[in-house]
Amino acid sequence: MSKTARRLTRILSMVPWVIANQGAAVEEVCRRFGYSERELLEDLNLVFVCGLPGYGPGDLMVAYVENDEVIVDMADYFSRPLRLTPAEALGLLASGSALVSTDQAPDALEGALRKLASALGFDADETVVVDLAGESALVQLLRRGVSEARVIALTYTSLGKGETRQRLVEPWSVFSTLGNWYLSGFCRTAGGERVFRVDRIQEARPTDETFSPPPEPPLPEVRYTPSEDDVRATIRLGQRARWVAEYYPVEVLSDSGSEMLIEFSAADPSVAARLLLRLGADARLIAGPETKAALQDLRSRILARYRGHQRSN
Amino acid sequence: MKRVIERLLNLLAFLLTAGRPVSADEIRNTVAGYDQDNDEAFRRMFERDKDLLRNMGIPLELRPTDAWEVEFGYVVNRHEYELPDPGLTDEERAALWLSAQVIRLGGQPSGPEALLKLGGGAMSGAGEPLAADLGESAASLAVAFQGITERRLLTFDYRGRRRRVHPYGLLHQRGHWYLVASNGGDVRAYRVDRGSGYTVEGPAHCFERPAGFHIRDALPSLPWLAGDEDLEAVVRFDVEVAWWAKRQLAEPAMEQPDGSLEARIRVANPAAFIGWLLAFEEHAEIIGPAELRSRLVELVRSSGDE
Repeated sequence: MSKTARRLTRILSMVPWVIANQGAAVEEVCRRFGYSERELLEDLNLVFVCGLPGYGPGDLMVAYVENDEVIVDMADYFSRPLRLTPAEALGLLASGSALVSTDQAPDALEGALRKLASALGFDADETVVVDLAGESALVQLLRRGVSEARVIALTYTSLGKGETRQRLVEPWSVFSTLGNWYLSGFCRTAGGERVFRVDRIQEARPTDETFSPPPEPPLPEVRYTPSEDDVRATIRLGQRARWVAEYYPVEVLSDSGSEMLIEFSAADPSVAARLLLRLGADARLIAGPETKAALQDLRSRILARYRGHQRSN
Repeated sequence: MKRVIERLLNLLAFLLTAGRPVSADEIRNTVAGYDQDNDEAFRRMFERDKDLLRNMGIPLELRPTDAWEVEFGYVVNRHEYELPDPGLTDEERAALWLSAQVIRLGGQPSGPEALLKLGGGAMSGAGEPLAADLGESAASLAVAFQGITERRLLTFDYRGRRRRVHPYGLLHQRGHWYLVASNGGDVRAYRVDRGSGYTVEGPAHCFERPAGFHIRDALPSLPWLAGDEDLEAVVRFDVEVAWWAKRQLAEPAMEQPDGSLEARIRVANPAAFIGWLLAFEEHAEIIGPAELRSRLVELVRSSGDE
């Protein structure tokens, strides 16, 4: 939004509020609309010289400060603020709904969302719904670690290799993105910045030690971006496996309508192997030696387990 | 900037009270600030102003001034311009502001404009740590949202075809935005970031959502609960994955003396359930029912390469 548009939006918001709250204190109007006193006076002076054609004393709006009270009059056409744009309304509803789903929401939020939706003419519960992955006791513990700047001892299982290690971490932030909660911080064990997926943390224990967090921790980035080191596999998807192309960040090589050829890349071949397993006959691995080996290995491990005697209960 | 804002306030005041379409000529001759000597100068100024107002969300429209559609004029419908009063308290406004600061729709936190329109408020908490980012595609989402709230036809490109749907709602789950919409027959969920060229078309209120519509039904939170079958699976999770299974299950599970876990899990969609279970590799085993067990084995056997 341009500077002019922002200033005009603020005027078109302030004027209706003052009309409804005639004589409000300068300080309150400033606080509410983020004005300095000088800025407020400038905008009121500007309103004062505008109005309807004729532009005589009876046509112009009235706007001034007297005894520290703000007065706006003769401006009935601006008695209501400008409606929200779709992007603005969506932003409020989506972030509100997300915060409600985490149990971290201020008490007033649910009521605010309901009022807002009903004023805009739709159903708050069934229009924009955001489910953040459940905010567990673990997330709360990590959050406390961040706010107290306390070193946390983690038992963590890494994603690709499935390796479990003990780590000492200086926690910087806890956040949710792409459907999972993450902890970012400085890992003392690894000696570098790391991002941990919270659902892979088996155990977290606050220690007695605190640390001084960086003044501005780098913004965490958790976006899957294919890298040079990724293992690639070419996979053919049948009709019933087409959802894979919607769900994973894959490259579609060709699509005949009944069959789709995709390139799947991931840091570890076990990701594609597990996917191929669950797709059964609906997908075929066309190329990718690492994935082929991982698939054969995984297949035989699972089949071995199911061939073994069923465990007694 | 002062002169521009004065001109725009005068224009808006005039259009909001005119009650009829007003031609560009009339605006030039009537509204203070537009009285330019030069045609071209007026045209450029007026074009810029229209763009600015429309970008702010002001419903500035061009309509015929008479039944013969010879001449056109500009209208701002007061009803469409005005924000109905939701009657928020200061506390509620503060809660909305806070949530918009800590939860973002891709990148930047939203500006204060929405809150100012709602009556402003103490905008503290601007330095709150980011708690969640609901991903990108904010522009597509806004168009879809407009279609939903105005009940208009929404079209977009998806998997190589142009889709025309009645949009019902937006759902954010497992890290993705889904548009829940009816394509004439089925109600289904489209991943918003997989589509492009979202556009609303046609008149408002062109459809009604079916009574009893629930947005979550389009995409259940645990995938194996979406289905028509009704099975109870008994599953053994080995000790090394027990903690992970426990965290994901809705049902309580029985811990065995050796630390492994035995869980009874309701399954409505066996395929989705088996898919999930395979993530545990050989560390989980379906004990029963036998048909579910052999179904998993069959699936694994049928997988492979060419």
